[in-house]
Amino acid sequence: MESRWGPLAQYDWSVMAPEFTILIVATLISVIDLLMPNHSNRRPLAWLGIVGSLLAGWFVLQNTGHGVVEILNGSYRVDAFGNVFKLIFLAGTIFTLLMSINYLNRGGVKEEEKVVDHGEFYYLTLTALLGSMIMSSSADAITLFVGLELLSISSYILVGTRKKHLLSNESAFKYVVSGSIASATVLYGISFLYGLTGTTNLFEMADRLGQAYMAGNALLIYIAFFLTFVGLSFKISSVPYHMWAPDVYQGAPTPITAFLSVVSKAAGFALIIRFFITAFRSVVDYNAANGPHSVLISELLLVVGILAAISMIVGNTLALRQTNIKRMMAYSSIAQAGYILVPFATLTSLIFEQTVFYLIAYLLMNMGAFAIIMIVTGDRETEDIRSFAGLYHRAPFLAIAMTFFLLSLAGIPISAGFFGKFYIFMSSLVMGNYWLAGIMIATSVVSYYYYFGIIRQMYMRPGETEAPLRVPAGIAVIVLIAFIGTVGVGIVPDSVLNFIHANFPLMDLIEAAGQ
Amino acid sequence: MADLYSNNYLIVAIFFILGLALPIGALTAGRFLRPNNPIAEKRTTYESGMEPIGGSWVQFNVKYYIYALLFVVFDVETIFLYPWAVAYDQLGLFALVEMLIFVTLLVIGLIYAWKKKVLEWD
Repeated sequence: MESRWGPLAQYDWSVMAPEFTILIVATLISVIDLLMPNHSNRRPLAWLGIVGSLLAGWFVLQNTGHGVVEILNGSYRVDAFGNVFKLIFLAGTIFTLLMSINYLNRGGVKEEEKVVDHGEFYYLTLTALLGSMIMSSSADAITLFVGLELLSISSYILVGTRKKHLLSNESAFKYVVSGSIASATVLYGISFLYGLTGTTNLFEMADRLGQAYMAGNALLIYIAFFLTFVGLSFKISSVPYHMWAPDVYQGAPTPITAFLSVVSKAAGFALIIRFFITAFRSVVDYNAANGPHSVLISELLLVVGILAAISMIVGNTLALRQTNIKRMMAYSSIAQAGYILVPFATLTSLIFEQTVFYLIAYLLMNMGAFAIIMIVTGDRETEDIRSFAGLYHRAPFLAIAMTFFLLSLAGIPISAGFFGKFYIFMSSLVMGNYWLAGIMIATSVVSYYYYFGIIRQMYMRPGETEAPLRVPAGIAVIVLIAFIGTVGVGIVPDSVLNFIHANFPLMDLIEAAGQ
Repeated sequence: MADLYSNNYLIVAIFFILGLALPIGALTAGRFLRPNNPIAEKRTTYESGMEPIGGSWVQFNVKYYIYALLFVVFDVETIFLYPWAVAYDQLGLFALVEMLIFVTLLVIGLIYAWKKKVLEWD
C-alpha cells in the first residue's frame, strides 16, 4: 500500500531503537555541553550517557528472540549475533563512563595531564559506541565501513583529549596515521570484492564469490581476503597490525585505554567474523584432487591461524620486558587477540559461542583490571609496575580483586578467563590443530611470568607508603561487578555457555531475513 | 573472466601513462621553445597584480583551515539535498523527516563551531 509517507516508512524502524537512543543521547549531551557555563561540572552528562546506554541495552533485549530482521536492503540487520555483541559494547561503555567520571574529576592532577573538555570526552565515547554497534549490525560492506570509521575517528580524538600532554598527543598522532593506513587497506580489499561481485551486500557477495572462484579468480579472492583481514587486524590489535597498541595504550587516558582494549576490540571481532564468514562461506573448490572443499576453511583460515599464533608469541614475549603497566597490558591485549582469533581460525561449530564467551570474560577481567590500574597509578602518579608495591596492605580488597583479574587473564582455574581459554583450546584440539593448541599453552605459560610480576609487587614488595588507598564509589562498583562476574563465570561456565547458546542462536548470522 | 578483470586495468594504465607523459612532454617542449630571460621581477610572489608584501614562506593563520572545514558542512549539505530534492516525489514525507534530521545535525555542527568561537577572527 502506497501512503503519502512513501516507501521508506514501510520498514520496521523500531528495530533500530538502540542505535537511535545512543544517537539522540550523544546529540543531546553535545548540545547541553555547549549551552552549559564553561566552569560547571560535566558529571551529569556522563550519568545521562550511562542512562542512555542502559535504555539502549533494554531495547537490544527487546529485539532479541525475534529472528532476523533486515531493513534498508540489508544495510541494517538485527540478528542474535549483532545483539549479543551490542550488549558487550554497551556494558563496556557503561564501565568506561563510570571510570571516566572518576578519572576526569580526580584531584591533584598536573595541569598538562588534564583532559581539557569533559563534555566532549563523554559524547565521543557514545559516538564510538554507536560506531561499534553499526559494525556489529549490518550486512552491507559500506555500512560496516562507515561504522568502523565512526568508531575509529571518535577514538582518535579520545586518545588525544589530554591536549597539553606530550605523550597523549604523540599517541593520538600515531593512532591516526596507522589507523588511516589500516582503513585504506580494508577499503582496497573490499574494492576487489566489489570488482569481482558487483555488490556490497554480503549475502549477494557470498552467492557471487563462489562463481567468481570457479571462473578462475582465485588469486584476486586471496588478495581481497588478506588485504581486508590485515586492515581489520588493526582494530583487534593482532599481528600484523599490532604495533600501534603499546604507544596508544600508554598515551591514552586510562578509561579510553580500557575502552580500546575491550569495546573497540570486540567490535573488530564482530566485524571480522560477520564479514568473512558471511561473504566467503560459499567459496568452494570443486575441482580439487581430494573432492570439493571450502577454500575459507582449508586455505584462508590457515593463515589466520598462523597470524594468531604470531600474535600470542609477540604479545606474550614482549610483555615480559615492560616496566610500564599500561604498555604491559597493551602487549597482553595483543596476546589475548591471538587467543580470541583461534576459534575463527579453526572454525568449529561452536565458534560464535566460544568467541562471545571469551569476550564476556575479557570484558569483565580487563575492565576490572584497568579500573584498579587507574586508581593505583593515579594515586602514585607513576605508571611503573612498582606503583603496585604494597597494595595488599593499603587496600586488601583491591589487591585480592586484582589478583583474580590477573589470574583470569593468565588463564588459571577457577576463573572466567581459564574456561574461555579452555574451550578454545579444546576446540582447537578437536579440529586437529595441535600446533595452534601447543603454541597457546606455551605462550600462556610465558604470560604467567609478567602477570605474577604484578601479584608479587602487590603482596611481597614493601610500598613507599602504607597509607590506606581511598577507592571512589564508582570504581568500587566496577571492581565489584567485574570481580563477581569473573568469579561467577568461572564457577558456572557451562551455564553461561548454555545460556548464550539457548538465547542467542548465533548461527542466524548467515540466515536470510524473515526466517 | 580473470582476463576481463585485468583488461579493465589496461584503461587505468593508459590514463596513468597519459597523466605522466602530458606534463613531462609539455614542460620539456616549453623548456626548449621559450626564451630564457630570468629577471628579479619574475621571481617575486604573484598577488594578482598587487605589490607583493614579503615572501610566500609565511605561516598562515590556522583559522583559514577551520573556515574551510566549516564550508564543507554546507557543501556536504548541498550535495545531499540536491538528489533528495530531485527524487522527492518518489520518496514521500518520510524522506522529508529524514532530511530534517540530517539538517538538524549539521546545524548542531554549526552551533558547535559558533560556541567554540570559530566564527570570530580574533
